[in-house]
Amino acid sequence: MRKVLRIMVRRTVNAAITIFGILCLNYVLIRLMPGNAEANLAPHNPQYAGYLADNIRTFGLDRSPEEQFVIYLQNAFTFNWGISYYWKQPVADLLLHDLSWTLLLVGTSTIFTTLIGMVVGSFAAVRRGKPFDLISTGGTIFLYGMPIFWLGIVLQLAFQKYGAISHVFTWWPWFPTQGYWDDPNTGFPQVWAWDWTHISNVLWHLVLPALTLSLGTLAGISLVMRSSLIDVMTEDFVLTAKAKGLSDRQVLRRHIFPNGLPPMVSLIALDIAFIFGGAYQVEWVFNYKGIGWRTIEAIGHLDFPTLQFIIVIGGVAIVLANLFSDFLLLWLDPRIKIT
Amino acid sequence: MGATEVVTKKPTISPLEATLRVAWKRAKQVWTQIYHSRNAMAGLIILLFFASLAITAPWIAPYRPTQPVADATCSTLPVPATYLQPPCPAHPLGTNYNSNDIYSQVIWGTQISFIVGIASAVVATVVGTAVGLISGYVGGWIDEVLMRFNDVILSIPWLVLMIVVAAKVGVVDLTGLILVIGLTGWSVTARVIRSQVLSIKERMFVERAKMLGAPSSRILVRHVFPNAFPLIFANTILTVAVSILSESVLAFLGLRPPDTYSWGRIIAEAIENAAVLYNAWWLIVPGLCIVFLVFGFYLFGYALDEILNPRLRRR
Repeated sequence: MRKVLRIMVRRTVNAAITIFGILCLNYVLIRLMPGNAEANLAPHNPQYAGYLADNIRTFGLDRSPEEQFVIYLQNAFTFNWGISYYWKQPVADLLLHDLSWTLLLVGTSTIFTTLIGMVVGSFAAVRRGKPFDLISTGGTIFLYGMPIFWLGIVLQLAFQKYGAISHVFTWWPWFPTQGYWDDPNTGFPQVWAWDWTHISNVLWHLVLPALTLSLGTLAGISLVMRSSLIDVMTEDFVLTAKAKGLSDRQVLRRHIFPNGLPPMVSLIALDIAFIFGGAYQVEWVFNYKGIGWRTIEAIGHLDFPTLQFIIVIGGVAIVLANLFSDFLLLWLDPRIKIT
Repeated sequence: MGATEVVTKKPTISPLEATLRVAWKRAKQVWTQIYHSRNAMAGLIILLFFASLAITAPWIAPYRPTQPVADATCSTLPVPATYLQPPCPAHPLGTNYNSNDIYSQVIWGTQISFIVGIASAVVATVVGTAVGLISGYVGGWIDEVLMRFNDVILSIPWLVLMIVVAAKVGVVDLTGLILVIGLTGWSVTARVIRSQVLSIKERMFVERAKMLGAPSSRILVRHVFPNAFPLIFANTILTVAVSILSESVLAFLGLRPPDTYSWGRIIAEAIENAAVLYNAWWLIVPGLCIVFLVFGFYLFGYALDEILNPRLRRR
């Protein structure tokens, strides 16, 4: 038990160091961007006149660099992130709103990717070298090689309302290709309400972006699942289990899965960083206004107060996901406690 | 007496020659395995196809990527024009708004994909291998610092990192693009190499070399690196695939060097000109090219990994 506690403390400290590292790197990156950081964070453009004094005060731009760094750290932890002069809203509100949509998108596709990937991967491992293995491995690698933005565009082409396919086949389904919800009656996003029509509308809009992201990241899970199970299959205890007369099914259920599944948890967590990266492209293609869309838009408008913490929020989300998976693994896999 | 005869008959060979002979023998073994692996051969054939396309581009592409076509034979406009022609025999994929032949642009784009993919993979591998070797072999607080830094790089969404670095470097030319992709893509390689080094470090021959008094630098160069090399090589091929994808994403988001027509850029221009409405092939064909080239690299890379990685080989 002491050992478990020590591992947990160590992992937490590591995560804290990583988050601090992200904060530092981000501070440096923003100041490396072309132009004068002070001028970027509080532009002297008459268009943004109302925000100049406010942002200078928030970021302490009239102080020395060391003081600025301390103020920056303070701001980061108190959610005092300044005001975006392009969207004219507090950055913290803006980003937390975006993050909820990104988490919906990433969460949905992570669940689907994981479930489908694990099923496909384990079937392929069991039928190693058989046609199913070859086709599924080839197929997932093929999907892995697709640029996600291009996959999204192709799916948009295939499933748009007045596309070439639905023109020929009237039964062909169509899905919305833009935005995250609209009012079912007027077709424009208006007033949100927590009723079935609105929730189903959100899910309806989620289909294509989530499908794109899931297909694009499927191989990461299924290939690793396959090799993880194959790894276990070569262990001596599997041979012993077979030798003592267990059926293939029993060997799989009692010996291979319990040993092959736990390592998957940390790999799925590592994959979340990759899925986040994919979400940037998906959000841009589908005009799904989450963190990724906001980032690309903020770079386009050189909205530095927004950019400053947008990098941090994505990084911290990934670090926390990894930390959570480490704890989950500790609970699932007794072997870690011994070594 | 007989023993001395044998020695005089067989002249001693230099260590370099011995190393080369071993490497050649090993390469022949690996080639036999590649030859019998269906996936590796399929990947290799795809790669050879695209490589021949890239090399022969000046002869098989009818136009240069930025050269406007002179004819308007395919134009469906009321007044025939050289720009935005639909696909037809003269221009298999039509022409773009600058009257460039898209089919030729796609063929020339093969070169850009190979150059950017391989060069940035080499950059990423050199940095990643150096970090992985040092981190794994030296250990201690250096390892701790390098790995925490690696965690930071891995956690920041790579796309953002790339865009920010690109904004700093200022992607003015191909070299800038290669550096951006290479310098942001080494962290996975570093992890893979580090874990390999950790296991090599524990083997008998490293212990022996240490006991004989070899300095760390010699052990790293003569023992650890050669043993990790197969893995590094297989990993480089997979990195090439990732780099090609990264290039297309960057081009799609608007980070394109002027006058280099990569596949990503062709797709991006197709979308910016609403090609879906009148010439969907403009964006579908370059996309398929990316997919198949990356597929080729992945197939070959994974198969090679399975052949070269000793942990998997025993099956």
